[in-house]
Amino acid sequence: MFRRDTPAETEFRMDVRNWLEANLPAALRGRTTRPLPAELMPWYHTLSRKGWIAPHWPKQYGGMGATLNEQIVMTEELARVDAPHLPVQGLNHIGPILMEFASDAQKAQHLPPIIEGSVIWAQGYSEPGAGSDLASLTTRAILDGDRFVVNGQKIWTTWAHHSDWIFALVRTDPQAQPRQAGISFLLIDLHSPGIRIRPIKTIAGDDEFAEVFFDDVIVPAGNLVGKLHDGWRIANALLGHERLATSNPQFVLMALERIKTMGRASGIMSDPAFQDRLAAASINVTVQSALFSHAVELTNQQHSPGPESSIIKIFGSELLQSLNELLVEAAGGHALSDQPIETDFGEVDVATPFLQARRVTIYGGSSEIQRNVVARRVLNLPN
Amino acid sequence: MELYLTSEQSLLRDSAAKFIGGAGAKVARGFRGQEPGFAPARLREAGELGWLGILVPDTANGLGLGLTELALVQEQAGRGLVCEPIGLAAISAAALAQGRTPHPMLERVMSGAALVVPALQEGAFGDNPLAPRTEAKGHGAALRLTGQKMFVCADGADGFLVSASGSGGPERCYVARTAPGCTLSAAQTVDGRRLSTLDLKHTPADVIPSRQSSRNAVDALHSLALLALSAELLGVMEKAQEITFDYLRIRKQFGKLIGSFQALQHKAVDIYIKTEAIRSLVFQIAANNDPYRIDPELAVAAKAKASEDALTVTQTCIQLHGGIGFTDEHEIGLYLKRAMLLSSLLGNAAAQRRRYAAIASQAEG
Repeated sequence: MFRRDTPAETEFRMDVRNWLEANLPAALRGRTTRPLPAELMPWYHTLSRKGWIAPHWPKQYGGMGATLNEQIVMTEELARVDAPHLPVQGLNHIGPILMEFASDAQKAQHLPPIIEGSVIWAQGYSEPGAGSDLASLTTRAILDGDRFVVNGQKIWTTWAHHSDWIFALVRTDPQAQPRQAGISFLLIDLHSPGIRIRPIKTIAGDDEFAEVFFDDVIVPAGNLVGKLHDGWRIANALLGHERLATSNPQFVLMALERIKTMGRASGIMSDPAFQDRLAAASINVTVQSALFSHAVELTNQQHSPGPESSIIKIFGSELLQSLNELLVEAAGGHALSDQPIETDFGEVDVATPFLQARRVTIYGGSSEIQRNVVARRVLNLPN
Repeated sequence: MELYLTSEQSLLRDSAAKFIGGAGAKVARGFRGQEPGFAPARLREAGELGWLGILVPDTANGLGLGLTELALVQEQAGRGLVCEPIGLAAISAAALAQGRTPHPMLERVMSGAALVVPALQEGAFGDNPLAPRTEAKGHGAALRLTGQKMFVCADGADGFLVSASGSGGPERCYVARTAPGCTLSAAQTVDGRRLSTLDLKHTPADVIPSRQSSRNAVDALHSLALLALSAELLGVMEKAQEITFDYLRIRKQFGKLIGSFQALQHKAVDIYIKTEAIRSLVFQIAANNDPYRIDPELAVAAKAKASEDALTVTQTCIQLHGGIGFTDEHEIGLYLKRAMLLSSLLGNAAAQRRRYAAIASQAEG
C-alpha cells in the first residue's frame, strides 16, 4: 500500500509470480492448516532446487542473499498464491543462529541439509513449567566427559513428531543466578535413544504441536552451540528481520478479502453496523501496512527499528484475531462448519483460520509479556 | 519508531519544536474565551518562518515543500496546543496558489497578515463533502453562493475557502469575510475557543480551481485538511502520553511508584501503540502522496483512526492521572479537549468510517 517496488523489484516480483503460478500445485494452495511432510516437503524441495528456499540467507550458505525488499516481495507473492506454510524452524531460527554462533564443523554438518530440506528441525524452548517465564526451564543437561546426559521435557514443540533434530535450551547450571546464566544451547538428534514424542492436538484440529520427553538422552559435547551457560544470549540474539517478515500486511490483507467474500455470500454487506466494523478493520489493515513500511524504511536506512518495533507484533497479531472474529460474524451460522464453505464467490474457510488465530497472541512471547517488555524497555516505567 | 527524515526535515522539526516552546498549556489556557483566541503576532511569526507557504510552490514565493513537512509542523502544533491556525492557513495558501494566476490574497495569507480558512463542513458529520448543499450560481464576476457551513474556525479570519455545488460538480470558492450576504455566528467550544456557522446568501465569490491534472479542487482541499488535522491530533496524543508517562514515574501509592503496577503499565503500552500507529500512518501517507492529490481513502483512514485514538489516548491519560486529571487546573484535560475539537472537525471517527465504506464500495462497483 505504501511501499513501492523499484523497476528491478517489479521485474523480480513478476518472475516470482509467474514461476509460482506455474510450479505450486493447486492442491497445496489455500490450505489453512499446514500439510503433512509427505505432501509438503516436495514443494520445499522444488523451492530449494530453484534456489529460492532461503531468500534471507547469504549466498555462501546456499541462500539467495536477497535484499530486504526482495525478501518482502517473496513473502508477498507466496501469500498471494496462498502457498502453504513451510517448516521454518530450520530456515528462520536455527539456521541464522548457527551462522552467527556455531563452529565451522557444526555449520558444515547442519546448514546444507536445511537448504536441501533433507532434515527438519524443531525448537525446544518451552516447558510445562516454563512458558512465559522461560528462564525457569529445568530440562537438565549434565556434562559427563565428552557427552551431555539430558533429562526433562519440552512442550509446544512445533512439528517435533515430524522432525529429525531439535535445538534446545537446557539447564547446565541449576544454581546460577540469575537463572538465565545457567542455560546452554544444545543440538539434539531426535532419533537418539531415550526420546519420546507425543503430538498435541490443537483447538484448530491440527496436531502441529508436540511434547518431547528426554530420558537419559546421550548428546555429544560437540553439539553444544557457543559456550557453556551462554544459551540464553544465543536464543535471544536473533529477532528483528524475521519478526518483520511475519508482520507483512499481505497476510491481513488476505484475511480482509476473506471477510468480504464471506460477507457478499452471506448478504451481511448491506448491514450498516457490519459496514462500520468492516471499515474499521480495513483502516486497521492500512495502519499495519504503514507500521510495516515504516519499519522496513528504517531497516533499509540502517536505522534498526529498535525495541519499539515489537509493537508491530502486538498490533498485527491482535489485528489478525479481530479480522477473524469479523469473518465469523460475516459467516453467521456457516461459521460452525468444520469444512470450507462453498459460496458463489469462492470457497471460504472460516472456523479453522479463526481458531488458528487464537495462537498468534500467545506464541513467540504472549501479548501480555510483550507489553511488559515495552513498558520497561521502551517507556522506562519503573520495576 | 523514529521517523527517517532528511537533514532539512530534521531542522524544520527542530525549529517548529522551538516555536512551540512559546506555546503550551499555559498559553492555550490564557486564550480561553478571548477573541480572537490566538496571537496574530505569532501567526505572522509562523509566516516569517515560511510555514504558512510551506506547500506553496517557490515560483509563488512559498517554500515548495511537501506533506511530510506540513505534518512535521502540525505535529508540533498539536504537541504545543498551539492556538494559531497555522495548518488551516497553510492549506488555504496551498489552494490559493493553484489558479492560473495566484489569488490576490495569497501573499498576505502566507505572511500571516491575513487569515483564510477552509469552510467545508455541512451538518454535524460533514457527510459527503463532494456534494455540498451550498449552491454556486452564475459565473465569473457574477458567481454567487448560497448555503450554510458549520464548525468553521472563523476566529480572526478575513476570508474562507467554501465548497459549493455548481453546474459542473463541487467547486472551491473564495469568499471574503466582508462580502455582502456573508454572516457569521460564533459559539464557544468546550476548549474555550470559538467555532462559527457561516451563512451565505447570494454572496459573491471567486472560484479557486485546481491545478491541472490534480483531483477535484474540493476533494484535494478536503483530503489535505483531513491529513493536517490527523497530524495535529498525533501531536496532541504524543504530548499527552509523555506527560502521563512522566507522572507514572513519580507518583507513589501503596509505597510504590504507580508506574510499576502491571495494570497501569499495560494501559500505558496500549496508548503508546495507538500513538505509534498514528505516527506511522500519517507520515507514510505524507511520504507517498502529493499534497494536491492525496488518495482520499487514505486521508479518510487517517482522520478516522486519529480521531478515535486521540480520544481514547487522552481519556486514558486522565484515568492514569486519577483525581488530579479531572481538575481544570491540571494541563492533561486541555489535551482531551483539544482532541475533542480536532476529532470532530470535518467529521468524527464514525463519520469518517461511513465515508470510507462509501469510497470502498464505490471502488468495488
